Amino acid sequence: MMMRKPFIEVVEIYKKFGDVIALNGVSLEIYPGEILAVLGENGSGKSTLAKILYGLYFPDKGYIKVDDVVTVFSSPAEAKNRGIFLVSQRPQLVDDMSVLENVALFLNTSPSRDLKKKLEVTLRDLGMAIDVDRGVYTLSYTEKQFIDLVKALITQPRLLIVDEAATYLPRELKLKFLDIIKKFAARGGSVMYITHKILEAIEMGDRFIVLRKGDVVGVFEKGVDVTTIRRAMFGSEEYLTTFKRSPKKITHESFALSVENLIVFDEHGKPSVNDVSLNVRSGELISIVGIAGNGQKELGEAIAGLRKAARGRIMLNDNEITHAPASERIKKGLIYVPEDPFREGVAMGLTVAENVKLFSQSKVSRELLDALIKKLDVNPSNPFINVAKLSGGNIQKVSLARLLLTTPKVVVAYSPTRMLDERSKTLTLSILQRLAESGSAVLLLSEDIEEVLHISTRLGVMVSGKIVRFFETPDLESCREDIEKVMVHA
Amino acid sequence: MPKVAIVKRELSKIATALAKVLVILLGLLLAATLTSIATGNTLKLISITLFQSFTNLNVFVYISTLLPTAVGLSLAFSANAWNLGAEGQLVFGAIGATFIALFTPLGRQEIIAPIAALIFASFLGALWALPAALLKMFRGINEALTTLLMNFIAYYVANYLVKGPWRGRTVYGYPTTDMIPIESRIPTAPGYSFSWYVVVACIAIAVLLYLFLYRTRVGIALRALGSSIHFVELSGLSSKKLFLIAFLISGALAGFAGGVKILVYHKKLVEGPIVGGGYGFTSIMVSWLGGLNPLFVIPASYYTAALYILSFGLQIGSAAVGDALSSTIVGFLLALILLADFLTRYRIVIRFR
Repeated sequence: MMMRKPFIEVVEIYKKFGDVIALNGVSLEIYPGEILAVLGENGSGKSTLAKILYGLYFPDKGYIKVDDVVTVFSSPAEAKNRGIFLVSQRPQLVDDMSVLENVALFLNTSPSRDLKKKLEVTLRDLGMAIDVDRGVYTLSYTEKQFIDLVKALITQPRLLIVDEAATYLPRELKLKFLDIIKKFAARGGSVMYITHKILEAIEMGDRFIVLRKGDVVGVFEKGVDVTTIRRAMFGSEEYLTTFKRSPKKITHESFALSVENLIVFDEHGKPSVNDVSLNVRSGELISIVGIAGNGQKELGEAIAGLRKAARGRIMLNDNEITHAPASERIKKGLIYVPEDPFREGVAMGLTVAENVKLFSQSKVSRELLDALIKKLDVNPSNPFINVAKLSGGNIQKVSLARLLLTTPKVVVAYSPTRMLDERSKTLTLSILQRLAESGSAVLLLSEDIEEVLHISTRLGVMVSGKIVRFFETPDLESCREDIEKVMVHA
Repeated sequence: MPKVAIVKRELSKIATALAKVLVILLGLLLAATLTSIATGNTLKLISITLFQSFTNLNVFVYISTLLPTAVGLSLAFSANAWNLGAEGQLVFGAIGATFIALFTPLGRQEIIAPIAALIFASFLGALWALPAALLKMFRGINEALTTLLMNFIAYYVANYLVKGPWRGRTVYGYPTTDMIPIESRIPTAPGYSFSWYVVVACIAIAVLLYLFLYRTRVGIALRALGSSIHFVELSGLSSKKLFLIAFLISGALAGFAGGVKILVYHKKLVEGPIVGGGYGFTSIMVSWLGGLNPLFVIPASYYTAALYILSFGLQIGSAAVGDALSSTIVGFLLALILLADFLTRYRIVIRFR
């Protein structure tokens, strides 16, 4: 143990995008058999670091040593050759191809029967029931994320860079997955585990590095506590607010949003939303939670108008909108925060200012724009850079700006905090809660019970396309175990 | 073995522009040198031909057609509307302008005639783009194919008109219409076959469309359509309406260019392939050269126009290098733009170990 050599060393890496310094002389090393947790708030440079190690970006200064040899990766292919694989927060899959074809493409082999068997076995071991011949476009974000992770593991890498990829997996799968990563490390593999979730990092990491605005601001050994890491991540300022569920103030007796006997088919003609009815009054915040792939995504998209309703009715303030195009529903006062910020939440080719301009029916002044960016803590704060240059979490923050421009009648959000660090997550949930208090009807769809438990007035559990049970008590936390049981076993 | 890597880089906007100009100038010099070696002409002669092509006022003849068409296309392409039918829309614009000038009483009214002719030309251009847009919106039929095929229909409609009902009485059987009345022609610059009015109008159109695309909500939404249809819908703007707007504007501008060709250049309707002259296709390239930004399409159309003149100048001027070599040079100079674009976005890293 004394004389062990690191598998990879990162030496004084410096990277700038335009005027934005993403990494400001970062050095670290990862030993075989070690899980190095890299922490930082949204936009701290974590993903940039991962992409440099994987050959996607080229550092402006500094170098990488693999097995003590100075190396420059100019493409992921070269990194892959050295046994380095990245699983990113944005699944790297070709939508038009099947799962099997995607994996074959990644491994540079043909989609043979052997590969299919290997893949099916791996998936079965992980308890994931995904048909490998399915087109990737039919998978939910979570399923894609998972396939991306499996794709890297199947190659038996030497260094696995996990960039927020496991963060959003459903609890059960995530535990299994983290276990596999740990086993991978125990067999001598190196892991760079990137996350903004402190507890998860503490659970996984052997060592910890904290980044803030491109600088390494803390290096910790196992045994470090949450507060120490949090302080390093965010500075000393106090930001955590505790949620108080305000007593229900129902301003209207009628329903702002009502869904009646809704049936929605998936790409294969199977009902993914099966006879769902629910009503949300103004001032209510209702959550629908369930394990990924149980129909929440399709329910949200059907309400927003991105997916056809096969049967049933959707009413917005007593107007039927079942067959209206999405744009019309938005004009009528519905706001939908989509699941995938990259594809639906923002237009990647436009600047932050242009994106915000599109969210608002009225003119957006420079002052308002700056105020929004400040409030949402979008980093970098320059509104005139392309959204594509922001980190994942910051892109999601831009997408959330739509919530702050009006007081909408109805808000439907799908896992809005999935990509956000603690501070932004708290902020987002408090925005949703405040919208409900000021009279919006809020429907929060989620795969993450943590996200919804503290702020919902009512909570439904969705399993196999049906809402199997509603929980409605002032103290939902006490029902947590029951809720989890229903999610898994119904 | 030295290791060669291609690495992305980001230059500031000014540095990018300067680098591109520099690459192009160096390329021109290289092209002139190679041509002089290949043909035995002196470098001076070739350089003069090059210089003259870029300073010849006749570039405006080509700019008057390429610029409005390419600006319209850059708007359509930004919105992911693959209108490859500018050629046909241009021909229909020409038909529209001829119709007003020859067959309506408006044709003999000064000032009103060219304006009415251009408006109707734009209208017919948009109309010719409409079926493809509707087929895409309501039946999901690929608009690139339909617009492309509609080009040839437009050619034949024009051919039918000039050989049939519209054939002129004073043209000795040639397949053209009669000349349009003087009142409906747009006055040209003395000694040239372009009009300053049109040039100014074309540049104004480019600037206006830039402001539309980058400053208005609808324009920004059009550009967002290229990133994500769902995003645009979720912002409360109808993606179908936007698609239609993009299509119709691009059709109208191609029609406008066709009208200009009749009122300024041909002064009568001629056969479809002659009116179109491939400008509708070249404009596709011009709009991409300009990076789909209407402002950059201005220099792109100038550069392309100069190459048209260069190609003729090399063949018939004192250099007389022949068709093959002249096409090679023009192709080389177009490829230079791609090289300049590449070099400003990537750098090449060579490491020896």
